[in-house]
Amino acid sequence: MGHMTTSGRLLAAQGARLRANWPAVLLPLVAADTLGLFVGPAPLWLFIGAAVLAFLAPKEGARLTPFAFLAYGVYGLFLFHSLSFWSPQLVVYGFVHSGPNDNAGWVPFQAVAFLAAGVWLLAVTGAPGGAAVRRAAAQLRGTDGQPKTVPPLLLLLVIFLWEEVFSGQLWFSYGQKPHVVAIILFAAGVALVRLWPRAAAVVAVAGIVSFGIVGVLVTVHGSLLNDGDPTPTVFGAVALDDGGNLNALGLIQCLALAGLGCALAPRLLTWKGDAELAKRAQALTQRVGRLTQTRSDATEVAVAELRRIERDLHDGAQARLVAVGMSLRAAEELMPANPEAALALVAEARETSSRALDDLRGLVRGIYPPVLADRGLADAVRALAIDAPLTVDTDITLTAEPSMPVAAAVYFAIAEALTNAVRHAGADTVQIGIGYSDGMLRATVTDDGQGGADPSVGTGLSGVERRLATFDGILAVTSRVGGPTIIVIEVPCALPHVAGAEDGGWTEVVRSSG
Amino acid sequence: MRVVIGEDLFLLRDGLVRLLEAHGFEVAAAVGSAPELLRALTELKPDIGIVDVRLPPTFTDDGLRVAIEARRACPGLPLLVLSQYVEQLYARELLADQAGGVGYLLKDRVFSDAAFADAVRDVAAGGTVLDPEVVSRLMTKRTRSGPLAALTPREREVLSLMAQGRSNAAIAAKLFITEKAVTKHAAGIFANLGLAPSDDDNRRVLAVLAYLNS
Repeated sequence: MGHMTTSGRLLAAQGARLRANWPAVLLPLVAADTLGLFVGPAPLWLFIGAAVLAFLAPKEGARLTPFAFLAYGVYGLFLFHSLSFWSPQLVVYGFVHSGPNDNAGWVPFQAVAFLAAGVWLLAVTGAPGGAAVRRAAAQLRGTDGQPKTVPPLLLLLVIFLWEEVFSGQLWFSYGQKPHVVAIILFAAGVALVRLWPRAAAVVAVAGIVSFGIVGVLVTVHGSLLNDGDPTPTVFGAVALDDGGNLNALGLIQCLALAGLGCALAPRLLTWKGDAELAKRAQALTQRVGRLTQTRSDATEVAVAELRRIERDLHDGAQARLVAVGMSLRAAEELMPANPEAALALVAEARETSSRALDDLRGLVRGIYPPVLADRGLADAVRALAIDAPLTVDTDITLTAEPSMPVAAAVYFAIAEALTNAVRHAGADTVQIGIGYSDGMLRATVTDDGQGGADPSVGTGLSGVERRLATFDGILAVTSRVGGPTIIVIEVPCALPHVAGAEDGGWTEVVRSSG
Repeated sequence: MRVVIGEDLFLLRDGLVRLLEAHGFEVAAAVGSAPELLRALTELKPDIGIVDVRLPPTFTDDGLRVAIEARRACPGLPLLVLSQYVEQLYARELLADQAGGVGYLLKDRVFSDAAFADAVRDVAAGGTVLDPEVVSRLMTKRTRSGPLAALTPREREVLSLMAQGRSNAAIAAKLFITEKAVTKHAAGIFANLGLAPSDDDNRRVLAVLAYLNS
């Protein structure tokens, strides 16, 4: 930026501001059109004024632009309605028409386009009223982002109303009270939308498509419905002029309508309506309920764990360390007078510290066994199998390591199942299998004991079940009396960690260098 | 006797050096990480290596892996493995090569100087010294048709003490029986387990442990 002159830098800054407030750029164009409306070939000063405003105060210009568009659109509609077909003021709007015999059916659509652009600009710029537009749009979209049926039907009805109000005649004439008929049709349409949304969607699509298709057909084959009567105004106004000549832009309009209908059709026809929404809402509510439950379970379990640890530490290791301190203090005092007694106390202190270490080891095992942290789930379960007082066969086919919380939950579940097999089932052999498929980690503990296990009777399995539920896991117990007991644990999880990846490969490095 | 020590906690490493030197050992190297330890063991070829399971870089079971790797490079290299916690699984891995000269102890056992020094000498001589906790869990493997079921309770006691590395005399003293009774029980153990008798006590214990661990 240093090589630019001051004016250059100023322009660059100005350009940046304009880009940031890009609607302001449109302001001079709209101003030019508006001029045309009022005074035909325009004095330049209004245009220049708008351009200067856009350049010097783009933010304010951007704020004005949506309103300029809206005003332009509204004015165009009234113009079309109140004036005869051709007038100098329509030059700007109907710049494609040049003579009194030309229809100006194109005008309402242009006007509506300007209105729509004005509304959209309101929504996207920081203009006042934009927030209201955004809220209304969100409302129309519905809570789950699916469009409601209202917009398409509304579009159809607006087309009806429009053509009726502005061109004076309906597609098939209903005599002297076309306005009343339009209102009745509108009310009927709204009722249809509320009661049978899907049917309403079908009607809307059919209406839009048929407008387009029939319009094309009328263009190609002349009057379709009447013989000699003026062609239906809706289509005649757009596709053919009074002389029966082709109006290319009107034809494009019909094709656009047909295309719009076809584009909307799949979306509307597959939309399930309120019943589906209600079902999804119910499913979501259930899921939220379950998540709330498992979350509170998880926090309860965590707190209970911490209290257990605190209690174990207090009653176990802490108590022993206090005893060690006392023994050593007593030894200190006895040392000068009675060295043998002091020596005995010191030996006792050493013994007590050993016990304290035992306590801590047991506690750590209950929180997170070191072998599980160091080696992972597979080896930890194998260690469990080896340590168990009965024969335990393992069949573990894991190629990767689940995340630590899942591994811990599954480990403790298997440990509990194994303990039950030892303590309650009186079994001889136990088989433990762990596998992973389709995003599900599955573990089974089968023992050949007497069966009859009842999870609701304080076997510790209910606690394990709650812990697994935090991960959306389940625990199932099959235990016929006299027969084997099979405990199945399933937890959905991903297996991102490759076992042994933390080795760092240093053994290879040393071997190759040594 | 030359010793190599692998221990990352400075205080404990220093303490071990002092203890061993006080008992007449020569500390050839005292290192604090797994790669250094592997190099020291394979290059210096000491009479015994004292290895902590948990070492840098990963602080999981690096020391254990060094032990197994070193014994693969130098078969029969006596190693005494120390740990804050003992796992049967690790004991199995250490005993798998059946080459003798393996010790696996809780760090707590270091508290008793003389016993520790004895264990070091036992392992250096090719013996097997397992922590009582490991042995007790091995012994409580209750299997109706398993090998231990064939032994009498007294035989189980003797076997357990042998696996802990006690001499026949020590076993006799502990169980308040004569040494001859201990030898008789040992013979009974091997007979009941169907193992060939052998003169070498160490090999016998090893054979039994390997058998039980399989």
